[in-house]
Amino acid sequence: MRQSTFLAALLAPATLFLGVFFLGPLLIIAVFSLLTPGLYGGVEWSFYHQNYGRIFGWADGIMEIYEPVYLQILLRSLGFAALTVGLCLVICYPVAFWVARLPPRARLFCLFLVTLPFFSSLIVRLYAWLLILKPSGLLNQTLLATGLIQTPLEILYTQSAVVLGLVYVMVPFMFLPLYSAIDNLDRSMVEASMDLGANRVQTFTKVVLPQTLPGIIGGAVIVFIPSVGNFIVPDVLGGAKGLMVGNLVEQQFLSARNWPFGAALAMIVMGVVLATLLYASARARSAAHA
Amino acid sequence: MKVYALALGLMASAASIQAAGAETLALYNWGDYINPEILAGFTAETGIEVTLDTYSSNEEMLAKIQAGATGYDIVFPSVHMNDIMLKLGLLEKTDINLSPGFAAIDPANLRSKEDPDSAYCLPYAWGTVGIFYNEKVTGPITGWADYFAAAEKGAKVTLLDDMREVVAVGLIMTGKSVNSTDPADLQGAVDYLLSQKSKVAAFTYDSMSMLTSGDIGAAHFFVGGNVFFTQTPDVKYVIPVEGATMYQENICVLKTAPNKAAAKAFMEFYLRPEIAALNVAQQFNGTANVPARDLVPDFIKQNPTINVPAETLTRLQIFEDLGAGLKLYDRAWNTIRTAQ
Repeated sequence: MRQSTFLAALLAPATLFLGVFFLGPLLIIAVFSLLTPGLYGGVEWSFYHQNYGRIFGWADGIMEIYEPVYLQILLRSLGFAALTVGLCLVICYPVAFWVARLPPRARLFCLFLVTLPFFSSLIVRLYAWLLILKPSGLLNQTLLATGLIQTPLEILYTQSAVVLGLVYVMVPFMFLPLYSAIDNLDRSMVEASMDLGANRVQTFTKVVLPQTLPGIIGGAVIVFIPSVGNFIVPDVLGGAKGLMVGNLVEQQFLSARNWPFGAALAMIVMGVVLATLLYASARARSAAHA
Repeated sequence: MKVYALALGLMASAASIQAAGAETLALYNWGDYINPEILAGFTAETGIEVTLDTYSSNEEMLAKIQAGATGYDIVFPSVHMNDIMLKLGLLEKTDINLSPGFAAIDPANLRSKEDPDSAYCLPYAWGTVGIFYNEKVTGPITGWADYFAAAEKGAKVTLLDDMREVVAVGLIMTGKSVNSTDPADLQGAVDYLLSQKSKVAAFTYDSMSMLTSGDIGAAHFFVGGNVFFTQTPDVKYVIPVEGATMYQENICVLKTAPNKAAAKAFMEFYLRPEIAALNVAQQFNGTANVPARDLVPDFIKQNPTINVPAETLTRLQIFEDLGAGLKLYDRAWNTIRTAQ
């Protein structure tokens, strides 16, 4: 009994903090998404379901018009986020294996390097990418000088630049959970598998992959969620042409002054993310039981 | 107990210091939109400490003030936002129009519909939104037709990442008002812009450095961009022949301002022609202060795109508050940016 009181006391600050600063704002967004937009921002306290109607197709067609564009933008954002997850995984998986086999000091140094980008502001780093990718930038100058290309590559202000930027931002978030899963890999099982006659592919799919799956799922979730809502990368590197749902939400709260519609969009993004999370955690649980 | 008493004493003396001296003034302005020498000059003369926070759009500022941000004394809304803030009751009446220096203000710059006599706000600065172009890359450009033609021939061009400014280009090119709330007008503007979209490299505010480095040939930008091109004769600025938008910001005192007297003192300070001219010399834009127009540096006075002649003024339009019509622009902007 004393122990559980002690535990409750320890958990109280975190619970209180999350309750006030996470659940509170979430509740505000949920309520706002069902209210009438104020003419100059803010909300009017009357129920209004058309914020969702504009997105899903039951708008009245007079004050609010249903347009498929919002679902298109959402789908595009999900696609970009999924692509980002895939690319981050392909980049990080082999690297995490390599790092896990380094001597302890080198390993620590590598982990330090992975976290190094967090020491400077994201905006500054994205503008650095702008300088690298632009036609007269570092990348094109180098490629031109080596004769690999004759005319500058058009990367900046394309969707490729957006995905590149997202992958760059998200790689550390994929690497760290992968690394911890791979570091904990039971190597004697790998040896046993090889000794018992499994080939490399079988060993990988039957032994290595299942053991590292929780790390893969963890990394995928942590990369996917912020990628869906990112609006800075498409703004800076995409030239605001490839609109993502994050840009749309930002626009509703600022230039369009339509807070309830922005809140409705945010709720839908949150719903999608929540569904992804539930699916991922179900997968992780079944993987753990396998 | 002793410690407690000491702490109380310290607090009391700190409070009295603040009450006695150190008057302060908190400005909330657009980024890079005031000559720092003006703030230094104001502090030197009055002893009032000035703090400056910045925002990057009218809506960002409005959202913060509406959300209850307090502590700011003065904001610099564009005219249509000035009107909105008056309708929302966020601004304080200052009677700046009764101040002796007010005679210097050009009546043409009293543009607020809600405050036609300037009883609340003081015209701060104005300018045009046009096209910067590198003549070596694009050839001569007189307006939007030339701009899109240059893009067709391969020059990279950018538009602003701004809903109203971009939709305005479509409205101007189809001969409509930039404040139209007729859905047919908006549809026409969207159709025009979609037909041109493939030629536009990006919607961005980062265009001035890209123009300097030669990565783009032309950019839609504010007249103030001239600051970057005083030493580059190839880069020129033009107010499009087809028509263009203009902006004007006003100095307004918030109803919640903690230092209203200091705010009024700052407005009166800014009424002086030499102070208004000091801002123009650093900002490269227009002033409502008539005598100040003679005090600005010669190269600005002689530049017809900065010191705009009367016949050019006739093709400029200024944004007005659209009320519920804003939704049409939001939808248009989403369509323009999403189309492949």
